[in-house]
Amino acid sequence: MVASATMVRNCVTGRMELSRLTEDVRSVPVFTPLREGRIDEAAVAALLDGWLAGGGLEGKAIFGGGALITGLAAQRENAAALASLLRTRLGDAILVATGDANLESWMAFLGSAARLSRRHPEVEILNLDMGGGTTNLALGIDGDVRRTGCLFVGARHVQVEPGTYRITSVSRYARALLDHLGMARGPGDELSPGDVDVVLSFYVELLEAAVTGHAEAFTTDAARLHLHTDIALEPPAPHVPRIVTLSGGVGALVYDKLRGAPWPSTTLFGDLGIDLAQRILSSDVLARDLSAWVPDHFGRATVFGMMRHSMDISGATVFLSSPDVLPLRDLPILGRLGSDADAGRVETLLRLVRESQAGGCLRIEGAGPSLAALRRLGALLGDVLRAHPLRPEQTLVLFVAENVGKTVGHYVSDWGKSPVKLVVIDEVAVKDARFAQIGRMKDHVVPVWYYGQD
Amino acid sequence: MEKVTQALVPGSDIVVPPPGPPERYRATVLDEEISFLGLKALLGAADETKAGDRNAGLAAKSARHREAARTILSSLTLRHLYDHPLTDDDGNVDSVMRVNYAIDHAVFAEIESMTVGGLKNHLLRSPGVESARVGKALTGVMAAALAKICDVHELIFLARRISRPTKARTNLGLPGTLSSRLQPNHPTDDLRGISLLLYWGLSVGAGDALLGINPAIDTVENVSGLLRHLDKLRQKTGVPTQICVLSHIKTQLACLERGAPVEILFQSLAGTEKTLTSEFDVTVELLDHGYRTMREKGPLGPDARQFMYFETGQGSEFTYGKHHGIDMTTTEALCYGLARRYDPFMVNNVTGFIGPETHLDNFEMIVSNLQDHFMGKLLGLPMGMAPCFTLHSHITLEGQQMATQMLTAAGANYYMDVALNTDRMLAYFDTSGHDDQTLRELYGKRVTPEYEAWAIERGIFRKEEDGSLARGPSWGNPRLFLSSDAELQGLVATTPALHGFENAGPRPADEVSRRVRLHQAVGREATQSELRVGELREVVDFRVIATEAPSKEAHLHSPHLGARVAAADRAALVPEHRKVQILVSDGLSAEAVHHNAGDLLPVLLDGLNARGIPMGKPILAPNGRVKLAEDVAELVQCELVICLIGERPGGDALASRSLSAYLVYCLREDETRRRAVAFSGNPEVRFEVTVISNIYAGGLPPLEAGGVIAEKVFEVLERRAAGNRLEALLLA
Repeated sequence: MVASATMVRNCVTGRMELSRLTEDVRSVPVFTPLREGRIDEAAVAALLDGWLAGGGLEGKAIFGGGALITGLAAQRENAAALASLLRTRLGDAILVATGDANLESWMAFLGSAARLSRRHPEVEILNLDMGGGTTNLALGIDGDVRRTGCLFVGARHVQVEPGTYRITSVSRYARALLDHLGMARGPGDELSPGDVDVVLSFYVELLEAAVTGHAEAFTTDAARLHLHTDIALEPPAPHVPRIVTLSGGVGALVYDKLRGAPWPSTTLFGDLGIDLAQRILSSDVLARDLSAWVPDHFGRATVFGMMRHSMDISGATVFLSSPDVLPLRDLPILGRLGSDADAGRVETLLRLVRESQAGGCLRIEGAGPSLAALRRLGALLGDVLRAHPLRPEQTLVLFVAENVGKTVGHYVSDWGKSPVKLVVIDEVAVKDARFAQIGRMKDHVVPVWYYGQD
Repeated sequence: MEKVTQALVPGSDIVVPPPGPPERYRATVLDEEISFLGLKALLGAADETKAGDRNAGLAAKSARHREAARTILSSLTLRHLYDHPLTDDDGNVDSVMRVNYAIDHAVFAEIESMTVGGLKNHLLRSPGVESARVGKALTGVMAAALAKICDVHELIFLARRISRPTKARTNLGLPGTLSSRLQPNHPTDDLRGISLLLYWGLSVGAGDALLGINPAIDTVENVSGLLRHLDKLRQKTGVPTQICVLSHIKTQLACLERGAPVEILFQSLAGTEKTLTSEFDVTVELLDHGYRTMREKGPLGPDARQFMYFETGQGSEFTYGKHHGIDMTTTEALCYGLARRYDPFMVNNVTGFIGPETHLDNFEMIVSNLQDHFMGKLLGLPMGMAPCFTLHSHITLEGQQMATQMLTAAGANYYMDVALNTDRMLAYFDTSGHDDQTLRELYGKRVTPEYEAWAIERGIFRKEEDGSLARGPSWGNPRLFLSSDAELQGLVATTPALHGFENAGPRPADEVSRRVRLHQAVGREATQSELRVGELREVVDFRVIATEAPSKEAHLHSPHLGARVAAADRAALVPEHRKVQILVSDGLSAEAVHHNAGDLLPVLLDGLNARGIPMGKPILAPNGRVKLAEDVAELVQCELVICLIGERPGGDALASRSLSAYLVYCLREDETRRRAVAFSGNPEVRFEVTVISNIYAGGLPPLEAGGVIAEKVFEVLERRAAGNRLEALLLA
């Protein structure tokens, strides 16, 4: 998808925001091209080139965006090469993450259910993003994700010839499941309606258990095998309803049906996705809220939402020790620094920065820092950096929630006299994440992505 | 309807009598002979006393002198006024005056022997159509002379009987109507905020005259975007009206060239050529070009009989020092003589906008509005009125409301709809959609017929059994145009100074009004606040100097006084040849200094000291204006003055604490000056200025502003440039 937007300052909050966000081009969904069990990099490159040309992006600088390699694709041997290919084609503004199921859950929620959640802060919304290999769960309240998890439940663990139930391949999870169920089926075999029902019942029971917070359902070996990341929900509190929404390919099938579309023909997509969608609709636990609580774009907006919600925009007074210090990629977020931190704490955290190859990020915390606190903290950081300088390839990034980025940067760098490579990004609420990526400056602001949740 | 789109008379075909030396006009009052040298002095003295004319030395010395001037003026024939065109400072008839002489000479031949007083009697005794007919034979000066001898009842009585309907996409000014221009201005041109203000305005029955935005950013790209957005909203809502973005005429013509929907072409006018060209960057030739372009390419096509929109208001010529000794009422009338040339769809009068240097109080503002409305209607213009005020004048909401009551009685075509009277972009106060509806109900007026049908369909209005128009069930509810509460909340989150949508009858609910008035009161107090010198000296060891403004009143009412160091203090400011001089002044809000200096100045001084930049001892100057920085720069011979000064308060209480930093760079070196001249095209350029504004807790907080200003100072000194030239160098 290619979207364009205008950067505007919200004169109520004083913050820069993206406005007039317009979806320009949306490609036709395609399955990840595979060749001999590996991602077909050449085919992916051809697809990317076509999408960029279609979106009129060839040769243009991209301010922000996202590309995720997830699910079964992330487990392919050459997933890292695919990440590299994406960076080459799309530049530093693009976030590429592989195999981070929590991030995927989080983004699916933001992209699909966040607005619905903000409109109804009185309920918990549990979004199930159901794709081919995984179901990513995210529980949010008032637009904020509180818990994430992931199950190896999806449409494509058992692949069949379209129009039939003749198996063409099974994933290792499906293999274990079939064995657990005592079903000696494999490629070339035909699944009976009863077989399909048993497999799907297993999936639905796992989903229902995750939704209702029944941990005992995950005590069997087969269930544990299907547990990627435990969302570990408690049963819903009596006064806070827990609403289920769906997104992803299976979710889209469900919402299409609810809007009156007929089911696609039997196994049209060569997997059990249609059957899984039908079973979800017959589950009281999963289907109870689906008609009344509909997420944006009927659950299809994951990528769009990812772009809108995973990227934060800095305040308009970012401190840069030099204009060419950005962009920065995959910098670890190494700790929190209270504005009243002592010298020992400052030394400890800056040691971690020095030990990190490219440097690192620190979060400065403390409500409304005073002039005295800023002078003191700036001097402390400056002193330690003078005594133990960072290497030329290392950058120190400071995140601060208040609008004090320039002043903090100047005090830390002794008004530009220190040689430290320093970036201070203000007016950002750093999410619980392990890494940050910072794009180039445009109109005095920079885009920031956080990923790798704690 | 008469066919009004017309060919423009070439300026060379307009005959103006050659100006002669000024005559002395005399009158005897009891045993005193009172005289006036020249028609300009006579016209000035004949008017009600107003701040602008007083500041220009044109107002009568006393009521006796004023009445003497009126007596003389009343006795002059129209021919006399015709034969004595007013000239510029060089004794020439300028292009604005020349255009004023494009009159109906056949009608003038009938009335030229009438005195001004005789003309007044004639019009009072005649039906309204005679006023309309005679108006075509009058120059602006004649109309001004007439206005000056009319009392309030006469200004209202005469104007009320003149009907000036026009038509673009829809009709405006039909008898019995009172329309409004919906003005959804937003400080950053945020389309979301504009949408909300527009929906809100439509919901209170506003916008039948025009949907018109004053843009914050006057670029072709931005204005085109705003035009397209307005067009989209117009089509989405189906509201029968027209749209306009009130940018410079050159910008709009460029937008039109690119296909943007410039339905109505706007321009501000002035009553002297020097103001028009030097300050507004407009000539009569450019206006002619705009008119012809719209006639050929305007998107409303031939169905629109009119398509031009002008804005005027007493005092701009005086404010810019380009009035040539002509009083405010007369220069305003000359604007109308120019506007008449283009048969505009609408003319909007914003007398009161400039501030107390032109109109000090309610009386002055009301009188000027009544005069302007009368003169405009008499000269053939479709007058809309925007009696308005800023918080540093003595004009109040009550005075504004009195003005609208009288102007409605006088038959004004339309008012503004600025939501809750508070313009969020221009920091002034205008009429609101609630005011417009209140006046419609009081005076039995209606919106335009096209709009009325549309609004009834949507429940905004309903037709009573007796045929009158009442508020409908959806009146005042902007949610009417939105799909969800969430969408409304999204728009609300981007729009400042929203104090509530609740209504009570045609008025805002009391709790809403209380919030609006409280914010205004805080802002007004800020303009009157005095600098607390002792307190500020605890922050920084200031040297305190006085300006030529001896008091807060003088400072607010005469901006030029605050632009110079007082004579007694000039000797103390000797050449020091430092790099930087910090200058702190109250400007229009001492509260802005009090609330920001404590955090800002220490950070700024830390930065300048850390870099070893030589500084003069900081100066604190009560009652100062931005221009004071230039005087100080010349006296102390520094390279850069950092002038920290309070901004003009608007409708947000917190923002009345907003400070600006003007970095005034002195172009002393020949090479630097040569580059600045080349960049600006102005051979007289002496200073370049970078502005960092909006410094307060709700904008750029003072702690951060200190760092931001310091960094900008480093750049200015390093690049030896400020303003746009600095930004161009940084980009390069």
